[in-house]
Amino acid sequence: MKKNNQPKRLKPNEVESVSKVNSKRFLTPGKHLMMGNVAMSEGALSAGLNYFGGYPITPSTEVIEHLAVRMPQVGGVCMQMEDELASINSVIGASLVGAKAMTATSGPGLSLMVETISMAANLEVPFVFCDVQRNGPGTGFVTEPHHNDIGLVRFSGNGEFQVIALAPMSCQELFDLTITAFNYAELYRCPVFILSDAYLGHLHEVVTIPTKEEILNRVIQRELPPSDEYVKKFTYKDDNSDNFIIPKPPQMGTDYCPGLLLHQPHNYEGLPTPKPMQFIEAIMDKINKNKDNICITESYKLEDAEIIIIAYGLPVRASYRAVDIARKEGFKVGIFRLVTVWPFPDKEVKQLVKDAKAIIVPELNYTGYIAEQVERVTKLEIPVIKIPKVCDFHHPDDILKVIKEVDK
Amino acid sequence: MADIGRMLPNEKPEHPYVPFSYAGSMFGNFATRFCSGCGYGIIGQLFTKIFEDEKLDPHLYPTIIGIGCYSQLLLIVHTQSQKILALHGRAPALATGIKMANPNMKPIIFSGDGDCLGIGGNHFIHLCRRNLDCVIFIFNNSIYAMTGGQGAPTTLFGAQSTTTPYKMFENRSDGVKLALAAGATYVARTTVAHPRTFMKYFKKALQHKGTSVIEVITPCVTYFGRKNLNSLGVENTEIEGEKMDTGQKMIDWIKQNTIRRNQANLMTEDQLLNKYVIGEFRYQTDKPEYSDEYIKIQKFAMEEK
Repeated sequence: MKKNNQPKRLKPNEVESVSKVNSKRFLTPGKHLMMGNVAMSEGALSAGLNYFGGYPITPSTEVIEHLAVRMPQVGGVCMQMEDELASINSVIGASLVGAKAMTATSGPGLSLMVETISMAANLEVPFVFCDVQRNGPGTGFVTEPHHNDIGLVRFSGNGEFQVIALAPMSCQELFDLTITAFNYAELYRCPVFILSDAYLGHLHEVVTIPTKEEILNRVIQRELPPSDEYVKKFTYKDDNSDNFIIPKPPQMGTDYCPGLLLHQPHNYEGLPTPKPMQFIEAIMDKINKNKDNICITESYKLEDAEIIIIAYGLPVRASYRAVDIARKEGFKVGIFRLVTVWPFPDKEVKQLVKDAKAIIVPELNYTGYIAEQVERVTKLEIPVIKIPKVCDFHHPDDILKVIKEVDK
Repeated sequence: MADIGRMLPNEKPEHPYVPFSYAGSMFGNFATRFCSGCGYGIIGQLFTKIFEDEKLDPHLYPTIIGIGCYSQLLLIVHTQSQKILALHGRAPALATGIKMANPNMKPIIFSGDGDCLGIGGNHFIHLCRRNLDCVIFIFNNSIYAMTGGQGAPTTLFGAQSTTTPYKMFENRSDGVKLALAAGATYVARTTVAHPRTFMKYFKKALQHKGTSVIEVITPCVTYFGRKNLNSLGVENTEIEGEKMDTGQKMIDWIKQNTIRRNQANLMTEDQLLNKYVIGEFRYQTDKPEYSDEYIKIQKFAMEEK
């Protein structure tokens, strides 16, 4: 056999498909009528998505259907893998060679994927995970919304790590927050979840698409650091300050990659460390100490509010209506909206509830995952009233009724 | 490999291609962690030799390693190559992502019999079905060795292991037949007792455009050999004693227990029980490769208005 007869292989940085910004990537600026899942896919494309690995599951199927058309147009790859385990693993592989990668699934798929999410958190591989939530446990009602993965995304996988989760409430936000999610993934190198649900994913709304320049200004591109910073590849604690420094994600096929990518406790070079405590500290506290930069919250009529509604996702829309009606009737009510569900903004909530009479937490689940967090922060000193709802919208009257009961 | 043990700073490395013992620098001077009589040392050396002789670009041939005893290979194979430890059974899926995101790469996957035919069987089937350009090794020692000798899908009929303490009575899964049925385009089987065929097949796989499956039969003395020989029902054996408790006995057994493909065609199924058929089973170059086909789709979609 002849030697050196290998097929000619280009260097990774010569690949056109990874770096080229294609004009088909961006939709025409202006107003478009879009389904939620499609808006999210377009947001991901604008953020520079190169690789999508997925497996069809109701209600997230439109994401893979839409991207199967759109990804080849922009020089990216959309793979329908054999199962959820394979799709998330291929996403990790693609992210390791420098692609911006994403997957989309629903509750049952998420429970299959948690094994790899835990591995990705260890290797600090950036990727975005769209969870279009549906009813559970088990198979459940597949087309009904149910915010029952809130706890699962936070505590997904074995081991300790922190995640970021964003909860949009409209199709416009699905577009915008997907770009934010990709930026967070690049900056903080942790799993970033978008918590959509069955109704939001299938909702048709008008989405305003910004111009190409505006989008490119917002997006953080994947790039290699200057070559003198190649030694430090994973998060480490700065000796001089208490801050954690998160280097750019390593890329296989370049010099900026450790020889061994082990999923054991490792130091900033990627070599196994005999001090697992330092490693756990790094992957937990890189999020905990950056909470101020990560947490996005919105306030509505909170200035003199005595009763505070804390909500995220779809129930916020009902809460706006309920607060408007209640204000007309003279109740001092306001809304504190969590756009990032995880990490939970302890400091802001603590500040907010100092003078509050009661807190109302309408959630699309029975447990009240966020209500539990609020109870933890308020140390049970203020009554926290849950409004559970499963497989259905909150009607403004549901919330109004509780406001009236509280204000007696 | 048995004599390596501790390495002194002034001692020259025994390995011709590894400039220093990577494992030694990390785990306090121990060169490898394999048991005596293990076949993975041979595989590690042959792999490194080919990697160096063929002058493969380490950036373009990433090594994806599954979970098993062979995971320790990452400490002794070519130091320059970029290696990633995948989750148990998920190495083919990880390689798919790497290959599709950067089609210029050719992943080399290390997986074992439990990894590839047990937990990751589905990923293996679909990797072969897509005919993705990569090399996948199945290191078959017919036992779950890293966890302490449990029965594997490839454990031979009648063999004893810790989870089949009386007798293994399940049918054996055959990696080569599975790969052929799934549509891999280069399929071969060899053993560590035939290092020259290993090198020949590996070189051929590197030239081949498509999924290359190479199953390598390797001995496990500690958990397979020490419990088995008579239990396998081997007749006319020249091996002394009732158990294969040394590396030499296991290599002898492998040599006696393998049959070339052309000879196997003349034998009945009963005669082939607990035997390994070695050789090349398929070499097909005209089947389209997945990433090539996808690039064609991309070009079509990009030009479409």
